[in-house]
Amino acid sequence: MSRLGEIPIRIVSRTPAASTGTIGAGVTAILIEIATQLDRLADGGEPGAIDLRSLPMSPGDREQLLKALGPGEVTITLKGDGESTINETGIQGVWWSEYRDRGGELIAGFIEIAQVPAILPVEPDQLRRGAQQLRAGAAGAAQQPGN
Amino acid sequence: MDLVSFARGPALEVALAVFCLGVVWRIVGFALLRIRRNFNEPRNSLVKAIIGGVIATGSRSWPHSEFTVRTGAGEALGYGYHIGLFIVILAFAPHIAFFGSLFGVTWPALPNSVITIFSVLTFTLLLAVLFRRVTHRVLRMLSNFDDYFSWFITTLVIVTGLMATAHIGGPYQTILGLHILSFDALLVWFPFGKLMHAFYIFPSRAINGTLLSRKGAAS
Amino acid sequence: MAHYHDQPTIGEMLERHGVSRRTFIKYCTAMASALALPPLAGRAMAEQLRAALRPSVIYLSFQECTGCLESLIRSFSPSIENLIFDVISLDYDDTLMAAAGAQAEMARDKAMKDNYGKYVLVIDGSVPTGANGAYCALGGKSAVDILREAAKGAAAIVCVGTCSSFGGVPFADPNPTQAWPVSDIVSDKPIVNVSGCPPIPEVITGTLLQFISTGKVPDLDEYRRPKVFFGNTIHDRCYRRPFYDQGKFAKSFDDEGARNGWCLFELGCKGPTTYNACATTKWNGGTSFPIESGHPCLGCSEPNFWDKGSFYSALSAPRWGKAGEVSPGDVLKVVGGAAAVGAALGVASAGLSRLRQRHIEKSTTNNEAKES
Repeated sequence: MSRLGEIPIRIVSRTPAASTGTIGAGVTAILIEIATQLDRLADGGEPGAIDLRSLPMSPGDREQLLKALGPGEVTITLKGDGESTINETGIQGVWWSEYRDRGGELIAGFIEIAQVPAILPVEPDQLRRGAQQLRAGAAGAAQQPGN
Repeated sequence: MDLVSFARGPALEVALAVFCLGVVWRIVGFALLRIRRNFNEPRNSLVKAIIGGVIATGSRSWPHSEFTVRTGAGEALGYGYHIGLFIVILAFAPHIAFFGSLFGVTWPALPNSVITIFSVLTFTLLLAVLFRRVTHRVLRMLSNFDDYFSWFITTLVIVTGLMATAHIGGPYQTILGLHILSFDALLVWFPFGKLMHAFYIFPSRAINGTLLSRKGAAS
Repeated sequence: MAHYHDQPTIGEMLERHGVSRRTFIKYCTAMASALALPPLAGRAMAEQLRAALRPSVIYLSFQECTGCLESLIRSFSPSIENLIFDVISLDYDDTLMAAAGAQAEMARDKAMKDNYGKYVLVIDGSVPTGANGAYCALGGKSAVDILREAAKGAAAIVCVGTCSSFGGVPFADPNPTQAWPVSDIVSDKPIVNVSGCPPIPEVITGTLLQFISTGKVPDLDEYRRPKVFFGNTIHDRCYRRPFYDQGKFAKSFDDEGARNGWCLFELGCKGPTTYNACATTKWNGGTSFPIESGHPCLGCSEPNFWDKGSFYSALSAPRWGKAGEVSPGDVLKVVGGAAAVGAALGVASAGLSRLRQRHIEKSTTNNEAKES
């Protein structure tokens, strides 16, 4: 299947939001929401997230939002079944996540407010399985000293 | 058959039939009544009397200057909710679609926000009218079941309509069904209660005015 | 992870297939997003699913057009491959399975026996009961018998599509095969209706996933549809709603209003009375939905949508008579007939009152004559 982006389209009217320098009301609302969630996290609350898909944003709004948050210092790439990226923004603890499938199509995008993105930490049983795997490997190596 | 289908289907069909039957019955019955002959010599010619009737139709529709203070507020309320009702009934898009499919003619609609404002105003005025009716001693003594029921059925249609547009009180489908059903009930009640004044009010004023003018009364 | 069966959990299965926990979370998050659930719900669902056992799913097709399955296999997130390879064990689906004939029937019987009391039964299509169920038979057994037998050992039944949920097209008047929805035949099992003609693929997979991850029947509305997906009307979430509110309507499919994308209410849109996720989840991976493509909502996820008159007459339009359509001519008939009767009654009552008047006048003149 060809990608959606490859279907030729004719733009009848361009959204003016990007050209105007002022920040739209929608973007301001998102920034305030992020600030509220940051406060909550600082006070020992749960991490939060804002789904970018659920927000009716024009490309201009998106640009404004990215600009307002600014670039950060951490970039994480997830390589399971397509390359997904998580970028920390200029505001520490605010992560811009874009999940993509194998075809590179964006399947989920959201802003995460957390110390570390929730997808990263490893569960205890996973740790144990890793240990088991290593031990099995080591035992195998011990049995075959020739290798 | 669900509620909406029933309300806008068989119930509406029956209600419309009863409405027409009742209205025509009462108008024809009224028009064919014998008017008691007046053996006095007429003070005005028939033409003048008819003009008097037309004037009376208009002048009775406005507070008489001497009573403005006493009846003005009541008449203002009455005018208020009648105008509100007309706007809501005739200028709301779904209502126009309804009339359109009944009669095959449509006309432009007002924005829903305007309609909502008018229907809330109308509802408020209807409450005020009821309050006036129960607190006004003379009015209370003049009122009977007919007055209260006609008020109730009109208000019910407005309230269910508001509920449907505001999406409160239950699934839209149910509330819409109740709205149409209450309108069906109003249609059935219409010819047999005081709602019939919609057809009677102007002819009766005109006839009364003409008769009185023939007798030489000022109109 | 503690579990008391020999069966591996979904998480273990996934590891074996090389699908890491993070990848699975990624897909669950994408699905949550597609279903307009909070993004953190996706992670929670991923964890629950990983801990759950891979349930056996038996998919039975009765009086149906396979449109629901066509829809299901076009699910984007989770994709059908993800679903049937990773999360469920699809033990019987006569259209998708490689086996055929007696082997297929055997596979079904075996799955039903091995997972008695635990499998999820998915039903697609209504169940004809006329002529002893002869209108729909598989492998010599009638649909109604197969359903009764399969329902006995099911943990829950998921009805996919309006036919199995509410009867659908076969149920439409005059219902020649006496087709019934599943809920009219099975009454002792939890039933979840995923209605729509067809249902949105992500809503089918989302309902299955929710059930598997929590092991519980989700919150249902009065028609047993999951509230998560059927909680709002199309109208509530329609992007053309502002035009409805402003009173701007398309009057035909090719007028100025239609070109400007105004509200389709007057063209028969059933959005205000239709509960479904089309306006939010949309179709084809979130590309569009009927109203976005310029066509009014048919109300296909509601019971009896086929028998509610023309798809193209406004929701508030009156309807009666055979065709379910009211023309000004029909109205004239009703109104005219009633008016004629009314006129006759009017003449009669006026006549009566004249008689009475004359009678009173006569008696008063008599009395006056007596007095003088």
